[in-house]
Amino acid sequence: MSSSSAPTHTGRLFQDLLRGLSGLSGPETRSLGLVGPGAQPPQPPEHCLRLCLGGSADAIPKRGCAFLAAATRAEVRVDALHDGRCPVGCAVAARPVPVNGQPAVLLTVSGALPGPREPGADLLGQLDRAQALVQRVDELLAENAGFANEVLQNYEQLNLIFDLTREIAQLTESRAIERVLMQRLARLLVGQEAGVCSAEGEWRPAVAGESARVAPAALAALVAQARAQRQVQVGAAGDAAVIAGPLVGLDGRVDVAYVLRAPGAAPFNAGDMLLMESLLTFGGQILSNSTLHERLRQMSLEVVRALVAAIDKKDHYTSGHSERGGFLTRLTAQELGGSAAEQQTMEWAGLLHDVGKIGVPEEILCKPGKLTPEEFEIIKQHPRMGWEILRPIASFELVLDGVLYHHEYPDGTGYPEGLRGDEIPLVARIIHVVDTFDALTSTRSYRAAYSIERALEVIRAEMGTRIDREAAEAFFRALARYQREQPNDFAARFGARRNAGAEGAP
Amino acid sequence: MSRILVAEDDPHILRLISLWLTRQGYTVVEARNGAAARDLAQAEPVDVLVCDVNMPGLDGLTLIAALRSTGWVRRGVVVLTNRWDHGDLRERLAAEGIQVLPKPFSPTRLSEVVAALLAAVPVEPGGRESGAP
Repeated sequence: MSSSSAPTHTGRLFQDLLRGLSGLSGPETRSLGLVGPGAQPPQPPEHCLRLCLGGSADAIPKRGCAFLAAATRAEVRVDALHDGRCPVGCAVAARPVPVNGQPAVLLTVSGALPGPREPGADLLGQLDRAQALVQRVDELLAENAGFANEVLQNYEQLNLIFDLTREIAQLTESRAIERVLMQRLARLLVGQEAGVCSAEGEWRPAVAGESARVAPAALAALVAQARAQRQVQVGAAGDAAVIAGPLVGLDGRVDVAYVLRAPGAAPFNAGDMLLMESLLTFGGQILSNSTLHERLRQMSLEVVRALVAAIDKKDHYTSGHSERGGFLTRLTAQELGGSAAEQQTMEWAGLLHDVGKIGVPEEILCKPGKLTPEEFEIIKQHPRMGWEILRPIASFELVLDGVLYHHEYPDGTGYPEGLRGDEIPLVARIIHVVDTFDALTSTRSYRAAYSIERALEVIRAEMGTRIDREAAEAFFRALARYQREQPNDFAARFGARRNAGAEGAP
Repeated sequence: MSRILVAEDDPHILRLISLWLTRQGYTVVEARNGAAARDLAQAEPVDVLVCDVNMPGLDGLTLIAALRSTGWVRRGVVVLTNRWDHGDLRERLAAEGIQVLPKPFSPTRLSEVVAALLAAVPVEPGGRESGAP
């Protein structure tokens, strides 16, 4: 295999071309070839080499064939062609042609060996046609190489954009998205420094560098221009090239992204501007989506809080019960290693578990003293009522489980369905523990609040029958950790109960 | 001079890879389908096989299995996959020590992977150069 100077696509193409040109040869032409510098793949015709030189093209100057030597140096002049004759008597003719930007010579050797001959008119005419063809092919090859570079570069960029989309798809927090976007953009645009200047004028560097500090005014001016015109702008800050473009968010908000190259590096061109524009358009949409998502989440949170307020308004006895239910359920979920999203959903389930009490008449809900069996039947409706209230909310599956089943007991004596053990969803088992704990440590019309220790004893005694063991143990650990790690918060939340518990009675 | 066999049924991608690797100084052999690739490797063993997964007739995975067992690919294999058939396939190939690049692949990354395969001590079972020091 011929080595280092790879027989490139170009080389192969020229060989094909010469083979084709040989077909054009007139009757007196024996050979046609290209002589280029450094024994490039287009070689002098073998016939010619064998005849005149008996060696490689490198040897041409040493062998005293002035014509071929001049030809390899691309010094052959058209007016000298008529004199062209090889020492062994062949008529030769040559035309200079550049190949791949390097000088080369197209060469023909006539066949008639015996007797000196001058190149004939048809030989020269053939050479002219060949020269035109070689030139055309060379132009096409140059064009081809240009396109190939473009395609390769686009492929590289496409790959980066794909990676960017994949990376961003996993993010929900807008600042994190912005940072990844800017880091990728800096890489794509071969920038040294990149960041965002927010609509409020806050500068948030994503890729740190020094250039921005060198000419902050120039950078700020370009950023302002990009913001005002909502178009990508290019310019310079000191001797560093800058590109800046709008990152249009929700409600027409315009942050501006900027990238600076290393001082002295090439300025940004039209291709860079196009790339910047398309990536910022894409990024703006993703960022808007994430903002929308955050707003929706915020809204659901507010709706949940409104519902919780409605429950607590109705049942004065249990004021704060929902909030504590949410808090303790989240704490327990955290102890069990739930993801952030799971913890959030668990908290909502804990907050909303009693929402069905909205449907229970107030005189029953707030009745001091013991309930009649009929009244208790009505109370027992609240998990299902809560479930019905929340059912229309999409993506609340886990919350619904918690609401519907938080009065199920492991021994199957709970309500509304009498589920047993593992049939009860974990979220409901946790809420049940938390609910029990909060009821025990709250004052009721018929008894004072239990101390925390006493409440935990009661729960422990019922593990396996009315209380799920796994959920209860996780709850104990969560509560102990909370007390250990945040003693002040713990005291603020539960301190009063601990004291009240001193004289607690059933 | 390292010899690289590229098997890819999309002629443009094939051209692109061939062009790119040729520019890096490798000898590139092109095959439009699995069967052609197998015949080419059989005629003269190659150092690295770069191949597509989905090809008409003999698909990429069958081709790899065939070539690896014969030692016709001496150094290693790079597989180009579509982004959407990643997951399992990628893990399975990685477990066999096969490099995986999702399309659209980065040309720079491709040449890095090829160079790394060529620089590594050959580990191909039955590879002709696997007796290296």
